[in-house]
Parts: sequence; C-alpha cells; structure tokens
Amino acid sequence: MTREGRCACGAVTFTVDGDPAGQGVCSCLNCQRRTGSVIGVAARYAEGKVRLSGETRPFSRTSDEGNVTTFQFCPVCGSTVIWRNTGMPGFTMVAVGCLADRDFPAPKMSVFGERRPAWVTLADGITEYLDD
Amino acid sequence: MTDGGAVREGQCACGAVTLRVEGDPILQGVCSCLDCQWRTGSVISVNAGYPADKVVLTGDVREFRRKADTGNEVLFRFCPACGTTLSWDLATPGFVVIAVGCLADRDFPVPNAAVYGERRPDWVCLADSIKEGWG
Repeated sequence: MTREGRCACGAVTFTVDGDPAGQGVCSCLNCQRRTGSVIGVAARYAEGKVRLSGETRPFSRTSDEGNVTTFQFCPVCGSTVIWRNTGMPGFTMVAVGCLADRDFPAPKMSVFGERRPAWVTLADGITEYLDD
Repeated sequence: MTDGGAVREGQCACGAVTLRVEGDPILQGVCSCLDCQWRTGSVISVNAGYPADKVVLTGDVREFRRKADTGNEVLFRFCPACGTTLSWDLATPGFVVIAVGCLADRDFPVPNAAVYGERRPDWVCLADSIKEGWG
C-alpha cells in the first residue's frame, strides 16, 4: 500500500510504501516550535520506502546526545515533510500530518509528554515515556 | 506595543525569528483541517488570535498565501531558515493568529474550540471543556 503526502502548498510531495516501522508523538520544545502545534507526529520508514519529489531546503540541528537531525522543508510554504537523524541510520522520518490521513496507524509511543499541555491527552494504547 | 498583560516569547525551530505577544489571546483554538495538517506536519494545529498590535515578529520571514475554505486569502509568515510558520493574517484586519507551539508554554490559555474534528485521528483526546465545531 502506498500513501501520498505533501506540503501545504503542494510543491513538495512524497510517497511512503507500506506501514511504518514505528510511529510516535513528541512534545519536546523543538517539535512544538517546528510544528507550531503542541504535538509532533512522526512515522519512521526504511529509507527506500520514502520517495520525495520537489525542491526542499534542509535545516539541521544537533541534539543533546550529539545526533544531527536534518529536516527537509518546502521553501515556498515552510512545511517540514521528512527528516533523517544520524542516530537512526537507514531510516527516514515522515511528518504524519503531511499524509492528512486519519486512518494512518496510530502512534505506539509518546515522548516529552511532560511538555504537553494538560488539555490534550493520548489514547490508552500509546505508551508514554516521561523524562523524569 | 501597548502596555498591559503578561508578555510571552516564542521562536521558530532555529531561533532566527522570534515572536512576542502581549496579554492573553482574544480566542484560541485547535484545527485539524487538511491545510493545517499539511502545514504543521501534525494532526492538530493550535492557534491563538490577537489584536495585531499585541504581536511582534523579529527576524526575516517569508510569506506564503493560500485561499481558505471561505474563499478568503490567508497570509502565513515562516522562517526561511527552518520552515517554521509563526503567524498568519486572516481576512479580518487588525487581527493576527499565532502558532501556539512556537511559545512552547504548556500553561498557555486552553483552547476554547476545536474545528474539523472529523479529520482528527481518534487517538488524540481533547479536554471536555473544548467545544467541538464552529458553534
């Protein structure tokens, strides 16, 4: 099964083949700033399962652990569509919202929930890993 | 910026653009329309509306315009270095909406309403106090 995603303006599109190898929610401050939302939703795919079309611009940041995450965003509208992390070689992360598919597999885990406002909670099946 | 109200500060992911808002928003809400999902890469957007003179963006921004479902044009401002959208203008003059996540403040006022809930995955649960729909 192939799913299709895109940025807000449609200049960048991507496809993902099959279900992700993992999917999760993150409310770290970096994800909140990047998304402008209070949760980031990401799915991890083997690199070859993700095909990106259109011009993107990279933005890299280094985590506390020293891993470098390089995000690819559309220079026309700003949407970040995918990213890769040196700590997860061979995988590409996809911004799940860009697939705009409410039936996409639900996240299995959540991190940095302590940064998430109390008005949003996650379904019981999602394991919370709190930073404490 | 006029006096009055707590000042909150935010930024884009890379920090090249900063955001400063004064006082509490006039309204705040959650949206799961397709455009918001594509823009955020998340399944909900969290937005707060302010009088334009209560919002200050500092740093170079790029603009992106699109038509809303209403037919009105929306003008978004994003950081050209990292892509983060920080604020946008609706058709209402003198009114600016900000991306609440850029404030990274879990104590920011709770949204009043959520729209396009039919597009939101079931695994996201919102507090009962948040009214669904345009009401």
